Amino acid sequence: MSEFWNPYAPLDGRQRQWLGVGSVLALLLVWSLLAVSGLVSSTKLPAPWEVVTALSYLSWHEGDSLLFTATLWSAGRLLVAGVLVIAIGIPIGICMGAAPRVNAALSPLVDPFRSAPVVALLPILVMWLGIGETMKIAFLFIGAVVYLIPMVRDAIQAVPQSYWIGARDLGATPWECIHRAVIPMAMPRIADAVIVAFSVMWTYITVAEYVNARQGLGQLIQNARRFSAWDQVFAGIIVIIALALATYQFMVWLKRRLYPWETQQ
Amino acid sequence: MTVARPAAATPPSVVVRDLVQEYPAPGGGVTRVIDQVSLSFDQPGISMLLGPSGCGKSTLLHMLGGVRPMGIETPTAGQVLIDGVECNGPHDDAVMVFQRYANRPDLTVFDNVAFPFRLNLWKARVPEAEWRQRVADILKAVGLADKLKLRPAQLSGGQNQRVALARALVLRPRILLMDEPFGALDAQTREEMQQLLIELYQSWPCLVVFVTHDVTEALVLGDRVIVLSAQPARVADDFVISEARPRSATWQRSREAQALEERILRQLHQASPGRGQVRVTV
Repeated sequence: MSEFWNPYAPLDGRQRQWLGVGSVLALLLVWSLLAVSGLVSSTKLPAPWEVVTALSYLSWHEGDSLLFTATLWSAGRLLVAGVLVIAIGIPIGICMGAAPRVNAALSPLVDPFRSAPVVALLPILVMWLGIGETMKIAFLFIGAVVYLIPMVRDAIQAVPQSYWIGARDLGATPWECIHRAVIPMAMPRIADAVIVAFSVMWTYITVAEYVNARQGLGQLIQNARRFSAWDQVFAGIIVIIALALATYQFMVWLKRRLYPWETQQ
Repeated sequence: MTVARPAAATPPSVVVRDLVQEYPAPGGGVTRVIDQVSLSFDQPGISMLLGPSGCGKSTLLHMLGGVRPMGIETPTAGQVLIDGVECNGPHDDAVMVFQRYANRPDLTVFDNVAFPFRLNLWKARVPEAEWRQRVADILKAVGLADKLKLRPAQLSGGQNQRVALARALVLRPRILLMDEPFGALDAQTREEMQQLLIELYQSWPCLVVFVTHDVTEALVLGDRVIVLSAQPARVADDFVISEARPRSATWQRSREAQALEERILRQLHQASPGRGQVRVTV
């Protein structure tokens, strides 16, 4: 116990897993007790097993998987928006980080949006882009890119100047310094920015699909809510959390594979 | 020594004329870092720039290589001429070895040394087959032939400086500028690196300007020792050591060496009483 308040003490992997599993189980227990005890009406709080039943119903019912179709739609939108975020956001962030003048010009346009109520933009996007796919992807894109751009910029600026000077000394042109030295050195942190962007998009997916969604996890939750099928609402939320977590884990794994040197340092 | 031996470097001519460099001081005004320094180098050899820490010797070395302080006028006055041409930016013939943080953590040993050849300047000058051979040779010469695939984090401090040295020498520079390259190493590794530098120098005799605050290092390596005063840096002394390298421990304890050491310490003391630090490691 003397190691309890010691952030540097190594924690046995098994112990860590058990503590994690334990707290999830504890939550499930409290949830079950609340549902069984009748303290909260079952219409307001479905029991865990009811959510499981709803999950299995959504996963497979009469030869059709509502959940699978909805996931495909949501993941597809997320992927399209993600490709746009990467293709547009990373170059902008790199330019801002690499050229102080670009940063000075663009940061007043980008930085305030990190704290802007992106959700409040939705009606405006609907007005401009209609209620179709374009609006949904634009919403996800904006929500994520305002986080990504400043993070990419910071990643570039965090590369120690000595690498730039060193490359210059070896005869690199300024642009060669940027793309041969600074960008490769910033890649792990740029990857972090992409990971954050995808997490942000998963949290916004329901909002994006709130308006006129015919397909998608957001629509699934929205529909269930309309019929007060709270077990399905819970099921939908859990699926989104699981997908976001899986995306995160996959991307972290990919990042470690691509940039193993970051952890060696 | 296995380094393929091309024709030795054409002797460079480096002239520093009345060089002055000032920085804006934190509380307003200016701090003069380099004060009226005039030096001239016209043949291969190892020249040691010796001075107390923080005296401005690194700034002077950086200015020789065209790595200039950013955001201020530079030089404040005077000139650096390489082969008679004023040098204001990175010079193709001058390559720098820094004290640390020079190796790329994301590249393997091989790629760190091959890095210059990814740049258009060197790509255009050296065909791929040749630079691959050169990289292999120099890595053998610095004793890292079996570490090609490792990354800097997997190497010791001394091995990292071997990589840095290899990356500079693979370009066969006419001017090699070394900024306290062994300053962060332990005593034994430092001695090994000094021996390595002597060997490498013999296979590629160029103009080496070597910054140090270690009097012993200056005596072990230098063909010429330039003593600088504490900030602002002025030339306090400038003399030649004719003893052939490698210089034995006997020589280092000889009357001649002792006299030189005393001379250096006296100059440092006169030029900068009670300021800065020098290291004597014998």
